[in-house]
Amino acid sequence: MLSLLLAATVLAAPAAPAPGVKVEIAEMPAILAAVKAPGAAAVLVNVWASWCEPCREEMPDLIRFYRDHRAQGLRLVLISADDDDQRGEVERILGALGFDGPAFIKHGNDMTFIDALDPRWKGALPATFLFDGRGTRSRSWLGAVTYDDLRARVSGLLRKPQKNQPRSPR
Amino acid sequence: MKLASSILVGIAIVSGAGAAGAGESTGGIPLGSKVPAAVAKTKMKNVDGKMVSIADVTGKAGTLVIFTCNHCPFAKDWEQRIVELANTYAGKGIGVVLVNANDPTTHAEDGFDEMQARAKSRGMKIPYVVDDTSGVARAFGASVTPEAFLFDKGGKLAYHGTIDDNRKEPDKVKARYLKDALDAVVGGKAPAVPETKGLGCGIKFRG
Repeated sequence: MLSLLLAATVLAAPAAPAPGVKVEIAEMPAILAAVKAPGAAAVLVNVWASWCEPCREEMPDLIRFYRDHRAQGLRLVLISADDDDQRGEVERILGALGFDGPAFIKHGNDMTFIDALDPRWKGALPATFLFDGRGTRSRSWLGAVTYDDLRARVSGLLRKPQKNQPRSPR
Repeated sequence: MKLASSILVGIAIVSGAGAAGAGESTGGIPLGSKVPAAVAKTKMKNVDGKMVSIADVTGKAGTLVIFTCNHCPFAKDWEQRIVELANTYAGKGIGVVLVNANDPTTHAEDGFDEMQARAKSRGMKIPYVVDDTSGVARAFGASVTPEAFLFDKGGKLAYHGTIDDNRKEPDKVKARYLKDALDAVVGGKAPAVPETKGLGCGIKFRG
């Protein structure tokens, strides 16, 4: 419920600059380079759009999970299917949620993009994909995810948490 | 059916470490399938108020079923192209029906009144019907809008997938997947590209 309220709040907020968020317009090779860049223990890739309600509803959980686990080597890569002229809106939404990781608006052929993430995915939004630190896909969620979904499947890939690691407020 | 429904309605978790190979099923009924018997004669309300089934619209040259809706920006971007293809190939022996399986309580824009308005404004000459349980979409294994299923004159699924390779810029389309498949089926041939995929909105299944 909190996620829904937060998503609604983000939607209703007036347009404003979003420091810390820079959304790149990119084709799949550049996006995959961000996904597979060394240093992460696990990488979550989420495909969404600013107008997609289930996408907006899951986004607060995704970003909170990322913040809570990035010290353990989690990377979150957000890929928007918005049109280029919606970049400001994409940045506003992600900025309001405090996201500061890699974010893209996808360009290029849909089938190439879809098959690079998971050939079994038909392209419906939202979708989230889990890769291990070597860039091998280990899990796909075709539909909206929750914090608990992610905790159940991602934690095993992450480094051990340090003592007193802070958690994001719900 | 129950299992398939639960996968499509809720989140589908797909595990597996390796990348699936080319030609792996993209979901939905497989190529060569017939219209699922359980829903072939399911009557659905058309925008003109009449009840229509897929069996009712079966064409001599083939049958095209497209799951689409009113609210989805992807479906909107392709809408004019879908209607033009549908109207054109309906005149070439292809039976066509557009199916809205979305729950309008999720998006009011997907309601019947808006379907009627859209059909009128777009000049649809083919049925645009309500799948009021989402049962037809479930039986097809459809999960995204827009998603096309083209059956040949023998009633076998010859093409499944998206419309073309450029949703955003119609004048820059290079691969007209559905049009090419329609031409092949009308000509009694198998489409050269029988399965494609495109980004789209997840179908908002009714409960």
